[in-house]
Amino acid sequence: MARKPSIYPYFWRAPLLIWQGLFFVGPLILMVAMSFWLVRNYRMEPDFVLANWERMLTRDYFWSAYQVTFLRASIAAALASLFAFPASYALAFLVSETTRRWAIFFLIVPFFTSYLVRVYAWQVLLAESGPVNAVIGFVGLGPFTMLNSGFGAMVGYLTLIMPLVVILQTFSLAAIDRNLIEAAWNLGASPRRTLVRVIVPAAKVGLILGAVFAFILSFGDFVSPFYLGGSKPPTLSILIIDTTKSGQQWPRAAVVAVMMILTLFTVAFAAVGAAYRRNA
Amino acid sequence: MTDATPLVRFSQVRKSYGAIEAVRGIDLDIDRGEFVAIMGPSGCGKTTTLRMLAGLETPTDGTITIDGRVTNSLPAHERDTPLVWQSLALFPFLNVAQNVEFGLKMRDVPRAERQAKVALWLERLGLEGFEHRRIDQLSGGQKQRVALARSLITEPEMLLLDEPLSALDAHLVVRMQGVLTRLQKELGITFVYVTHSQSEAFAMSDRVVIMGHGEIVQIGRPREIFRAPRNRFVAEFVGHNNILSGTVTQGEIDVDGVRLPLAGVSDGPAEIVVAADRMEIYGSPPSSPALKAAFVSEEFAGAGVICYFEGPGDLELRAQVPEARLAELAPEPGKPFWLAWAADSPHVLTHREGRT
Amino acid sequence: MRLPILFFRLYLLALFCFVFAPIVTSTVFSFNSDRFPTMPLGHFTTQWYQTAFARPEVWEAFRNSVTVALSAATLSTALGFATAYTDFRFGFRFKSAYLALALLPPTIPLVIMGLAMLAWLGQLGLSGSITGIIIAHTVMAAPFAMAICRMRLQQMDASLEAAAWNLGASPWRAMRVVVVPFCLPAVISAFCLTAAVSFDEFIVAWFVSGLNKTVPVMILEILQGNVDPQINAIGTVVFVTSITLVVAAQLLLLGKTAR
Repeated sequence: MARKPSIYPYFWRAPLLIWQGLFFVGPLILMVAMSFWLVRNYRMEPDFVLANWERMLTRDYFWSAYQVTFLRASIAAALASLFAFPASYALAFLVSETTRRWAIFFLIVPFFTSYLVRVYAWQVLLAESGPVNAVIGFVGLGPFTMLNSGFGAMVGYLTLIMPLVVILQTFSLAAIDRNLIEAAWNLGASPRRTLVRVIVPAAKVGLILGAVFAFILSFGDFVSPFYLGGSKPPTLSILIIDTTKSGQQWPRAAVVAVMMILTLFTVAFAAVGAAYRRNA
Repeated sequence: MTDATPLVRFSQVRKSYGAIEAVRGIDLDIDRGEFVAIMGPSGCGKTTTLRMLAGLETPTDGTITIDGRVTNSLPAHERDTPLVWQSLALFPFLNVAQNVEFGLKMRDVPRAERQAKVALWLERLGLEGFEHRRIDQLSGGQKQRVALARSLITEPEMLLLDEPLSALDAHLVVRMQGVLTRLQKELGITFVYVTHSQSEAFAMSDRVVIMGHGEIVQIGRPREIFRAPRNRFVAEFVGHNNILSGTVTQGEIDVDGVRLPLAGVSDGPAEIVVAADRMEIYGSPPSSPALKAAFVSEEFAGAGVICYFEGPGDLELRAQVPEARLAELAPEPGKPFWLAWAADSPHVLTHREGRT
Repeated sequence: MRLPILFFRLYLLALFCFVFAPIVTSTVFSFNSDRFPTMPLGHFTTQWYQTAFARPEVWEAFRNSVTVALSAATLSTALGFATAYTDFRFGFRFKSAYLALALLPPTIPLVIMGLAMLAWLGQLGLSGSITGIIIAHTVMAAPFAMAICRMRLQQMDASLEAAAWNLGASPWRAMRVVVVPFCLPAVISAFCLTAAVSFDEFIVAWFVSGLNKTVPVMILEILQGNVDPQINAIGTVVFVTSITLVVAAQLLLLGKTAR
């Protein structure tokens, strides 16, 4: 097809470049630029000043929000990975192919289903007089205050990320060559040693990927800390919303956003690097 | 355009992918009505050659002429060079009739004519009544015939086939070979058949083109190639050959101290080929000179049994004998035998005059 | 070995309970007569559905959501298919950068997407409009469509398209008569999934929607007030819609891979 340069390949290649350039890269670049703009009399003016950066990065409330967000996202990623593992292990090794397929099917459904309404449902479930306290009360304990706390927020994060983490872990565990595991047993490794020495290293990429996605989603989430965590202390996303929605302080919100993106990139690259680093 | 011009002419055709040279300057003429097999080990450039003919690859250099017309950059869909794919590439979402009529539809042939031709070709290939079957409801052999009908329905001057039988069971392969040769004779069109299987190539084709490392190594009738391989590559690739080297003196060749007859070759070092079916096995030392070799293993192959031996100096030897003869010999691994050939048999691969 | 198996069974059960508890709760409480979520439950009622759907703004929100979901699903499926096909069929320089661009959007926190979109659409004069939400949702949903179409193309014999050219179809025609029919289940699946993604998305929509609220944005705003069982009713409708879409999307793909 060298006779005339065909537009065929470009017809298929161009839409993404145009659309994502215009509506994904463009907005992000503008946001970064905006973090250097000047706000005067409640109006933004394109400029190149470091005032917004200085203002945000020298404030304790930014750093405490950063700390809370990072800590919570790390805990959420760790807890999700930990809680998901036995389930993923069971799905990968102890059930039939069909069961596994349907389990994945039913995990994909909630992942794409109204996170907001699910969080609201937790508000109902975890309320002082709600069903969960009713059950706990039945055995003579409680009632506990579970909403508007770190615990509530964590339940929300796990609601968001659990299905995804289980899916990623299950895929990576199911992909392990069975012969590897049988060889370990055959060579006299105990089940526990097999798990630690063979299964976990072999599924490392998927396990790390699961944790990274859990971290990314929790780090940027706004709903759980706001509605289940009581928005105190605020997380970075709450900070962005407060700063954006109240007054015209978009440049300051942009500073927070850029800091978040930088953090996520660093974490993601470090984790992917760790995931693909060859075992010593 | 006279009949003197070949249907296809490759001249100095080269194809490289970056640093990798898939085809390194080949010259090849293919005549009308010929059944040509292009054969070689995987990676020898045979499929690339075929794909260039179909317009699926553009030559890096040189020209490909079809019917006297240079076609280097003619897009695939503007040629009439249907290809039978190794994977068959039948459209899974279309039924048999829709698959077969595809080429006509692309040429905007009216519906009634299409239906008539589909009926004709399905009948010709013994697929009547399968019009509305889905592709995944067909057997391997049926799929094969659908693929053939789909390619032939436009009545092209040549048909390209890329290892079309490689996915079939052995018994079906022989049957399909029959179908293919019959079709080719009946239609009188050119078949260009790419394969790595010697039996397919030799059984069906008028001429065989042996390719290796992107080059054409030998072109000839199957028998010529079989009996007179041009070099060691062909000799090793084709058939079950013994390749021996030694020094010729006075009508005899000295192979590891054993002097065996080799008529009509002047003195000097030589490399010779003896086909396995021309090797004779003796259970005890014969009166005439023979190579002593230890039996290694046997392999049943079609008409006879191929026996493998280890001769002097780690020399690999093989001989094909009828099954009954094998029973007589009662070979066991390590048991010594004596091998020799009839005086007229060896084919000389390389030969230098004079003494070493 | 029996005891561990039992443990794993129960563990899986517990996990699925945790994952599905909110969905079940919302549905149960949407039919519960008590205003506040207390145990034991009150009696069965449909009054929350009646109150909710008696409000014109709820209908308005659903209309907006459907418009946005259908438009964004159409656009992102087209975009996703073109990108998946490009990845499947062509090799070119900077392809990995191209693919990164295609798959990156879901990793950017929604709040940040919302802020960036708000600023950008403002520059283009599109803020507060339904168009703005459609644009944003297309950006976010396209990677999912791309992934689904790419998976389907992976199952396609690469010579299928070449076979069509070989039989006389131009590349455009081969696309129409071979690639598109082959990918059709995946395309419909991608459409359903991206519609679900758009239908459920609320943060970016909340940032850029202005007065044209979608359903989840409306829920978000009601939530900022007080506990209101109407949310359960509306939420259940949202659940049913998106679960239907996601289930349909998956069944379309499963049916084809199983074959």
